[in-house]
Amino acid sequence: MGRSFKVSYEKDMALFQNNWVRAWLVVLIVAMMACPLFLNRYQLSVLNQMGIAVIGALGLNLLIGYTGQISLGHAAFMAIGAYTSALLTTKMGLSFLVSLPLSGLMAATLGLVVGVPSLRLKGLYLALGTLAFSFIVEYVLFHWDLTQGDRGLGAAPIRIAGLAIKTEKEFFYLIMSCAALAVLCAKNIVRTKIGRSFIAIRDRDIAAEAMGIPIAKYKVMAFALSSFYAGVAGCVAAHYQKWIVPGSFDVSVSISYIAMIVIGGLGTILGSVLGAILITGISPGILYVVDILKGSYPALGKLIVDFRLAIFGLVIVLTLLFEPRGLFGLYRRCKVYWKTWPFRY
Amino acid sequence: MGEGPGMGSRAPVPHQDKQTRKGGRSMKSTRILAVVVTAVALCLMGAGAWGKEVRGVSDTEVKLGFMVDFTGPGKYSGPPLAMGGEIYTKYINDQGGINGRKIKLLVEDNGILPNTTMEAAKKLILKDEIFAIAFNLGSSGSTAILPLCEENQVVMMPHGANKRFYDPGNKWVFVPYSTQYNMAAVAVEYVLSKNPQAKIGIIYQDDDFGIDGLEGARNAAKFMKSSIVKEAPYKIGTVDMSPQMALMKEANVDWILLWAYLPQIGSILKEKQKMGWDVKLIGNNTTAYPTLFPLVGDLAEGYLAVTPVAPWENIADKYKQIIKKYGDFDKVNDPNFPTGLLFGAWAYCAAMIEGIKNAGRDLTPETLIKGLESMNLDMGGICPNISFTPKRHCGYFSSMVLEAKAKEKKWVIVQPIMEPKSPQ
Repeated sequence: MGRSFKVSYEKDMALFQNNWVRAWLVVLIVAMMACPLFLNRYQLSVLNQMGIAVIGALGLNLLIGYTGQISLGHAAFMAIGAYTSALLTTKMGLSFLVSLPLSGLMAATLGLVVGVPSLRLKGLYLALGTLAFSFIVEYVLFHWDLTQGDRGLGAAPIRIAGLAIKTEKEFFYLIMSCAALAVLCAKNIVRTKIGRSFIAIRDRDIAAEAMGIPIAKYKVMAFALSSFYAGVAGCVAAHYQKWIVPGSFDVSVSISYIAMIVIGGLGTILGSVLGAILITGISPGILYVVDILKGSYPALGKLIVDFRLAIFGLVIVLTLLFEPRGLFGLYRRCKVYWKTWPFRY
Repeated sequence: MGEGPGMGSRAPVPHQDKQTRKGGRSMKSTRILAVVVTAVALCLMGAGAWGKEVRGVSDTEVKLGFMVDFTGPGKYSGPPLAMGGEIYTKYINDQGGINGRKIKLLVEDNGILPNTTMEAAKKLILKDEIFAIAFNLGSSGSTAILPLCEENQVVMMPHGANKRFYDPGNKWVFVPYSTQYNMAAVAVEYVLSKNPQAKIGIIYQDDDFGIDGLEGARNAAKFMKSSIVKEAPYKIGTVDMSPQMALMKEANVDWILLWAYLPQIGSILKEKQKMGWDVKLIGNNTTAYPTLFPLVGDLAEGYLAVTPVAPWENIADKYKQIIKKYGDFDKVNDPNFPTGLLFGAWAYCAAMIEGIKNAGRDLTPETLIKGLESMNLDMGGICPNISFTPKRHCGYFSSMVLEAKAKEKKWVIVQPIMEPKSPQ
């Protein structure tokens, strides 16, 4: 227990708190590397979806969880990233490695534009403003000849150093690398002055301003950063799905992302990851249960399909009811219980 | 080494030394070994080819995916569509299946939206390992999953398809149903055949579904040396149609083409009555269901709809007997049941199964494509006969025109199955 005490700010802010964390990280990396050896293509496809969701959820958590700026336009920024990359790779022949950051930058630039009204809008009004932005993006995608409306747009196949990324397994390594990088960057952002400023603005913006934090700058920056993450997630999703249509980025996607960070834990990096895994995994999980029950209890299987959305909602309500701080709170409770066992605090 | 030109005989030559004789024997053994290895390799290759596994196909079964909407915006259509596919499959399996194999239909909820359709398609293709998708509801979803189908060599039959699914077309996509483009063409040609001077307007949903109808209408009007005088779009989900109707009134049109769904049609019919305007209305297949009658009552009288599927009253008795044997006949016979959906799905299943039949016992994605491209399926009046060719992956362009009879709560055919004259 004694070794857990931190006696300096450096130790308190360290990326990896102790050797146990490093060891577990190595185990996780090895396990992830080995996943394609044991999982089938469908299971890998579910993990790939989770990986993309992790990137998007991290971005939204930086905005909502860390800075306290609500947004219902996250899917619109993902769409901007996806369409930017599709256009850059197909029309201009750029490689994926170039289009990936450019997609993020394009989304971030538009995020800056949307961030400006956030200086005057708060709470529900800001939510409505971002929702309006998402409708505008959807309208443009439907009606602009370049984006080909409902007909959709193809994203060029990925080639990295002469290696084509085609199979679920190859995408698994690519997406997980991107997700890991996104986690690392987010973890570092929140440790810096920027991250601390975000938190200060979230907790009490007037007090933050009184302490000398330029609120306007950091609010707009939060929007830009969040949009960058969304753009990157959209870009990866576009190349993974190979074909994108405006309907893939409707408002229900934004709501799913909000559910991810609320259930995972607002204002935590681990929460974003856990929430993305849970929300993305519910649907395939239900399908697995239905398949198991289909043989023995066909009526029950059908009932589960009929009530799939209700089950989805129930999982969310129960999680929030029993652990309002989300999955991260649950993790913390387990950790504290383990560390203090056999004592109860 | 004694076998070259001019050396002729294989008999041992007296002056050959021991080493040479040993070399000859060694050569002979090598050759025998090579022949044996080649033969074994050929056998293994052959066996590999014969025993090559095709996803979703076993000696006794073919797995087909059937994607309908049970939970999304089109969920009202899910149960009748699924019922159509299941009844036809049961009927075929009861006849002994196709080429010695039973059909296993895996019905999956696709939620109609692109993301949910992608989830369902991945489950069917990657987890359940289906051979082909006999039905997929929704054009956006079908577009989204097309690369997945191409990559995994899955033939897909999209429902609610647009012209682009057959023009320019795709090797893996077959549409055994007329598209909105074709139906709008039939509607315009019907109107202009009644009155060549008719002023036609169109109210359409501002998405792929509505725009496909708009383009079909424009093309047909141009072909008939006429034009669409007023176009009024509405955004998905809008139900109040009074602004669009006001635009039509302003343009003083004689006929309004409605490329919209039932809730909008209900609103338009009510608005028409409110305005006291005797304008004629003609809509698309998604509105040609008995559900219109409880929605608007007597206002439905005289409303026309273009659809390729015959109303229940015109379905031949032999098909009704099949439903009686393999489905819930009382449910289907209910005046409010959307039989158009059931028989639409039936036709999809019939087309896919006919393709499988034509492919023969050696069933692979490639032979299925050949089987489909050579089919000419008599649909017995349920809908136009379905035929594909290597250059045309749309089963037919024809449709019929139905008229709503509000008092009897039924649809009657006012123009039988007809192919549009304008180029499709």
